[in-house]
Amino acid sequence: MPFPNVRLSNRPLHFIYLCDCSGSMAAQGKMQALNQAIRQSLPGMAEVAEQNPEARVLVRAVRFADGAAWHLAEPTPVQELQWRDLEAGGITAMGEALSLVADALQSPPMEDRALPPVLVLISDGQPTDDFDAGLSRLMREPWAQKAVRLAIAMGHDADLEVLQQFIGPEPARGGKSPRRPLQASNATTLAQYIQWASTAVVGAASMPASRVAQSEESGSNIPLPDLPPTLLDPTDDVGPLVW
Amino acid sequence: MPASTSNGLMPVGSSLSFAGLEQPLQILRALGGGTQGQVYAVSSGAEELALKWYLPSCIARDPRLKQRLQQSIRLGAPNGDFLWPMALLEPSDQSRPLIRSSEPGFGYLMPLRPSGYLGAHLHAGGRLEISLQNVLRACFLLADAFHELHLKGLCYKDISLGNLFLRPSDGSILICDNDNVEVDGQSAGSVLGTPGFMAPEVLLGAAKPSASSDQFSLAVLLFRLLTRHDPFRGQMELAIRCLDEPARRRLYGEEALFIFDPNDSRNRPDPIEHPAALLTWPIYPPALQALFVQCFGIGLRQPHQRPLTGQWKQVLSRCLDQRQLCGHCGEELLTAGPCWSCGHSLTPVLQLQMPHGRVAACAGNALHRHHFDPHLGETLQEPIATLVSHPSDASILGLRNLGNSPWHGQLRNGQNLTVEPGKTCNVAALQQLHTEAGPLTTLRP
Repeated sequence: MPFPNVRLSNRPLHFIYLCDCSGSMAAQGKMQALNQAIRQSLPGMAEVAEQNPEARVLVRAVRFADGAAWHLAEPTPVQELQWRDLEAGGITAMGEALSLVADALQSPPMEDRALPPVLVLISDGQPTDDFDAGLSRLMREPWAQKAVRLAIAMGHDADLEVLQQFIGPEPARGGKSPRRPLQASNATTLAQYIQWASTAVVGAASMPASRVAQSEESGSNIPLPDLPPTLLDPTDDVGPLVW
Repeated sequence: MPASTSNGLMPVGSSLSFAGLEQPLQILRALGGGTQGQVYAVSSGAEELALKWYLPSCIARDPRLKQRLQQSIRLGAPNGDFLWPMALLEPSDQSRPLIRSSEPGFGYLMPLRPSGYLGAHLHAGGRLEISLQNVLRACFLLADAFHELHLKGLCYKDISLGNLFLRPSDGSILICDNDNVEVDGQSAGSVLGTPGFMAPEVLLGAAKPSASSDQFSLAVLLFRLLTRHDPFRGQMELAIRCLDEPARRRLYGEEALFIFDPNDSRNRPDPIEHPAALLTWPIYPPALQALFVQCFGIGLRQPHQRPLTGQWKQVLSRCLDQRQLCGHCGEELLTAGPCWSCGHSLTPVLQLQMPHGRVAACAGNALHRHHFDPHLGETLQEPIATLVSHPSDASILGLRNLGNSPWHGQLRNGQNLTVEPGKTCNVAALQQLHTEAGPLTTLRP
C-alpha cells in the first residue's frame, strides 16, 4: 500500500519580473535576448520548485515603456508558465512599474502567509518618470521590504544608481555582489544571471540550502547564494577596463 | 540545479589526466552543479564514476576541504550506503589548461548514483509512490548508516533531505555530499548545516556541528520522511507572515517547540494548514513517538539527552517487525489499535516468537539473525526468512527459508516437517521451528 497521500502544507513564493521594454531594448537584440533568457530559465526554475515541497512558486511579470502594465498578471505556477515575448518600444516608466508591483504586494491581494517574494528588475536605461515616487510607494509595503530585490543592468547605459536604490543599501565591501546591480554586457551573461535568479535565489528564498560559516550575507533576511561564475566572459568579472 | 551548465568547468567529451591517477578520465556529461562545484559522469576504462570539481570560491572559503577529503578517503566509507570519496584529483600539467577556471583547483571521484534512486525531497513533497514499509526501511538504513559513521569517530554535519536518495521499490538509500565529514570534535570546516535540520545550538551559533548535532538533524530527517511534515511547524508557524531567516531562527532555534510536545500544546498542527502531521503521527507506535518527543523535547536544549542512532535502529526495526495489513482496507499498520486509514479494528494475527524478537505474521515481514542473537546489531541485510502469501491463495501465509540449511519443525498436530532452503511452510499449521539461526515458536492470538 502506498504511503498515505496527505495534503502538504506550503507557502506561496511570488516571483515578479519587472522588464524594461523601452525603445532602446530593441537595439542589438536586447529584447530578444531577455525573452530567450527568461524562456530558457523556466525548466530549471520548475525543477527547483519541485525540489522545494515547502514552496509554491508563482511567477508574474510587469513590462514598462511609455507606461507600465502587467505582461503576466496572473500568479502562474512555474510548471505551467509559457513565456510570451515582450516587445520593445517607448520610454522608461520604471516608477510606474514599481507602483504596480506595490499594489500587488498589498495584503490583500497578498496572502497572509508567504515566503519572501523575489523581485527582479531588468533595465538598460534611465527612468523617464518619477522613479522616487514609485520606489517609496513600493517600499511602504511590508512585503516589498521583506522581498529579495535584484537588479540586472543590460548594457552600459543602465542607471546603476537607481537600480542600487531599488536593491537597497550598497554593501560595504567592494566587488561583485548580489546586493549590487548585476551587469550583463552580453546575452550569455544575461542568461546566467536570469538563471541564477530563477533557480539559486528561488531556492534560497523557499527552502534553505546548506549554510556555511562566516557568510558575508549573514544579517540579511534571506542569505543570497554566490553569484554564478561568469567564465565565458572574464571581462565581466574584472571591473572597469579603462579609467 | 539544472544540469545544463553552459559554463561548465570541465570539458565534456574530453579525456583528462590527473596527478596520481593511472588512467585518464573521459568526461561524459554534466550531472549538476551548485554553489560548491559541479558534478560530472566520467569513465575510467569500463567503469563509470562521478567526479565533483570545486569552484575556486568554495576552495577559498574552506581551507581544510582537501585535508578532510584525504582523511575520508583514507578511512573509507562507513558502509555501502554512502557515495563516499574514492580519490582526490588534481589536474596534471596537460589537463590544467582544459579546465575552465581561473585556478585549476581539485575535485574527487566517487561512485555514480545508480538509476532508480530518487531525491528524498520527492517523498517529502508527496510525489513518490512508496510503501510505509519501504519508508521505514529507508529510515532504519539512515539510522544504521549514521550509526556506522559515528562509530568511526566521524560526524557528517549536514544531514538533510537534500543529501539523501531513496529507491522506492525497496527503501534502500544513498547518502551523498560526504565532503563535510570530519573527525568529531575537530570541526574546522565551514559548513553549519541546513536550516530546518540544524540543531538549535548550531543554528544559534553556540556550537559547531558535531555527532550530537547530527543526532538532532537525523531525527528531523526521520520525522520528515515518516510524517511528510516538519517537527516545528504548527500553530507557531501560522503566526509568522513572512517565513524568512529571522523567522526561521525563532521557529527552529530561539522558540523551537515540538508540534507534539506532550506537556506544551501551543504548537500543535493546525487541521487546515498542517493536515499531514495529524494524519501520519498516529500511525507510529508509542516507542517510536517517544524517541521524537525525547529528541525534540529535552534533547532540544540538552544535546546529550538526544536518542542515539542505536536506539533509532532498535525501535525502527521493531516497527518493521510489527507491520500488519488492515483486513478491511489493506493499509499497512504498525500499532494494535484501530486502522489509521479506515478505522476498522485490527484482528490480532499470529506472531513468530524468537529468543530476541517477535515478528507479526504478515506477508513482506522478515526474520533476521538479530531476532535470535542479542549480540548481533539490527540489520536488514540477508534476512534468514521472509513471510510470503501462497501464489494461488493469498489468504495462506507461508514462511520461506532464505538460508542455506534445512529447517526442522513441528506442526500443531505433532507431525514433523523439514523445510529445505528456498521452500516455504504454511505458518497456520506450524508450532515450532529450528532454523540455523535458532528456534522459533508460533504464538496464536
